[in-house]
Amino acid sequence: MKLMKKHSIEAMLAWRNVWKNKRRTILTLLTIMVGCAMIIFFRATQDGSYEKMIDDSIAANTSHIQIHEKGFQENMSIDYAFAPDEYPSIISFLQKSPAVLATSKRIHAGGLISHGNNTFVVLIQAVDPVQEQKISNLHTTVQPGGRYLTPDDRKKIIMGATLAKNLNVTTGDTVSMISQGFDGSFAAANVEIAGIFRTRNPRYDQAMVLMPIAQAIETFTMGDYVSSIAVSLKHTSDMETVRDQLRGLPESKGLEIMGWDELIPELIQAIVMDKLFGYIFYFILILITAFGVLNTIQMSVFERTRELGIMMSIGTKPSQIVIMVMMESVYISLLGVLLGILIGSGISYYFFLHPFDFSEYQKEMEVFAQVTTVFPAKLTLNNVSVTAFFTFLAGVLFSIAPARRAAKLNPLKAIRQL
Amino acid sequence: MAIISINNLVKNYDGEGLEVQALRGVDLTVERGEFTAIAGPSGSGKTTLLNLIGGLDQPTAGNLTVAGKELNNMSARELSDMRLHNIGFIFQAYNLIPVLTALENVEYILLLQGVDKAERRRRSTEILKEVGLAKEINRRPKELSGGQQQRVAVARAIVSEPELVLADEPTANLDQKTGSGLLDLMHDLNHRKNITFLFSTHDRMVMDYAERLIRLTDGSIISDERKKSSRESGERKKSGSRKSKK
Repeated sequence: MKLMKKHSIEAMLAWRNVWKNKRRTILTLLTIMVGCAMIIFFRATQDGSYEKMIDDSIAANTSHIQIHEKGFQENMSIDYAFAPDEYPSIISFLQKSPAVLATSKRIHAGGLISHGNNTFVVLIQAVDPVQEQKISNLHTTVQPGGRYLTPDDRKKIIMGATLAKNLNVTTGDTVSMISQGFDGSFAAANVEIAGIFRTRNPRYDQAMVLMPIAQAIETFTMGDYVSSIAVSLKHTSDMETVRDQLRGLPESKGLEIMGWDELIPELIQAIVMDKLFGYIFYFILILITAFGVLNTIQMSVFERTRELGIMMSIGTKPSQIVIMVMMESVYISLLGVLLGILIGSGISYYFFLHPFDFSEYQKEMEVFAQVTTVFPAKLTLNNVSVTAFFTFLAGVLFSIAPARRAAKLNPLKAIRQL
Repeated sequence: MAIISINNLVKNYDGEGLEVQALRGVDLTVERGEFTAIAGPSGSGKTTLLNLIGGLDQPTAGNLTVAGKELNNMSARELSDMRLHNIGFIFQAYNLIPVLTALENVEYILLLQGVDKAERRRRSTEILKEVGLAKEINRRPKELSGGQQQRVAVARAIVSEPELVLADEPTANLDQKTGSGLLDLMHDLNHRKNITFLFSTHDRMVMDYAERLIRLTDGSIISDERKKSSRESGERKKSGSRKSKK
């Protein structure tokens, strides 16, 4: 307050100087506004898209957290399994934690599937049909004419649409599956196709087979062992906390407890790369807006050389000139940023309500393993505050040079200029 | 008592490899309350002398004392403080801060001096009334005529009651009638408030008004003339010009 009072004259002069050349000020404000709004909107689009892609991946099959025996994620083999009963504190935590929505035991095995002369390598995932529906939305992608698995199903499977097409089979057909049991024995079964799913994830649709866990325990001689426990949380944001809590339990020593970020590293890597390019783009945008401010302040100082000279001649100190000129950029940057926040947030909110929908290009996007086709914008406080701060900061920092130049004017030379 | 004391003042400029001597050993003493004009043709060194006295420029050699302060060894900040507290400036034209009203332009000096708001307003309003701009206090410079702008500049120069007012060709951009009115005003203030006025000019009218006329040619004082009846003469001219102002 005292500081504001002390510099009230500089603040007042700066405010009036800003509006001395309205057209130039408005153009600069528009530059900052557009830059700031674009960054907020693009970041909202990125944040929304990332979240949607992660959510889609989590909901499809990944789940928020998976618990395996150590080494499973690297080897993806049926040899890595654990008996949940031997980890009572972990099971108890999963049952009691208010953050946990559901858990589902799974058995994973690689194998071959044949029909007629066609044989393909597949990923067999055995699931608890009831629990799995609380974890994954895969059951919603079963095509008409078929159905999802039930707990009573035996020798029944569902498979991906592309795999079914490659095998030339349909719902109701019987296929042969060959794999290796947990005990190293030969595992084989003829199974009936109960349904065909289309997740739009090429990895799942091309090579995934789901079977009831009760059947898998028998076929793969698993006994009490499972490959993983998939954990679904009420809120995605709780993942790290729950994961850390699980890792903190003494029984977790022989297990690998992985969050979705570790389970889908390729997606995370793609997001990191996309963010990096985004940051470069935002940096350029901020630079452009800052140069707009620099140009305005520079021109304003240049035009007022004589005026500044007179001010200095009659006793205005160089520091007061610096404060006055910098206040001008503070006003311009602040106003531009506020307008940018308004416009950027408005546009982002519109695209939150009306997301970008590329469903029409679903097939083309599948080629690039892009499952998500609807991209909503998501406005976050971090986006708005960080964008506003850096846009404002750049504008103010870029005015230091003209402000210093103004303060270094020789009053005598300055007052001779017209 | 001398307000300005100059001994053997020299000022040289570097002009494209050639050293130009603007002042060649000037000796000058100005007493408090004088109404003095430094006259001379363009390039004679009168503005240079005024700038040196105002602490806007540094001499090449010689001693310069203004209001009891030796300027030679003062820092830029000290010079700035001295200009703020001891000297009032009036320039040729475009003297005022365009974004401030007449009142705010006058207040500006007091604000820099840290005078509180009520006192600032009172003194500024009063001084603007004195210079005949009571109705124009809320107008910005572009809404004022050239003569009115110079009156605001005079008000600003004297509002803090400095010991010395330096006026660099204050009538140069004014017509004769307006210039005469302005000189009347300054002469009146000189008499009433005992403020020392030092002009640089080549305007005949200013020379006539001056109580002391110093002629400068090629950086040297060639004559220093004190007019005995200058005050009377000023009064006479003042009443005459007031009539002609309307």
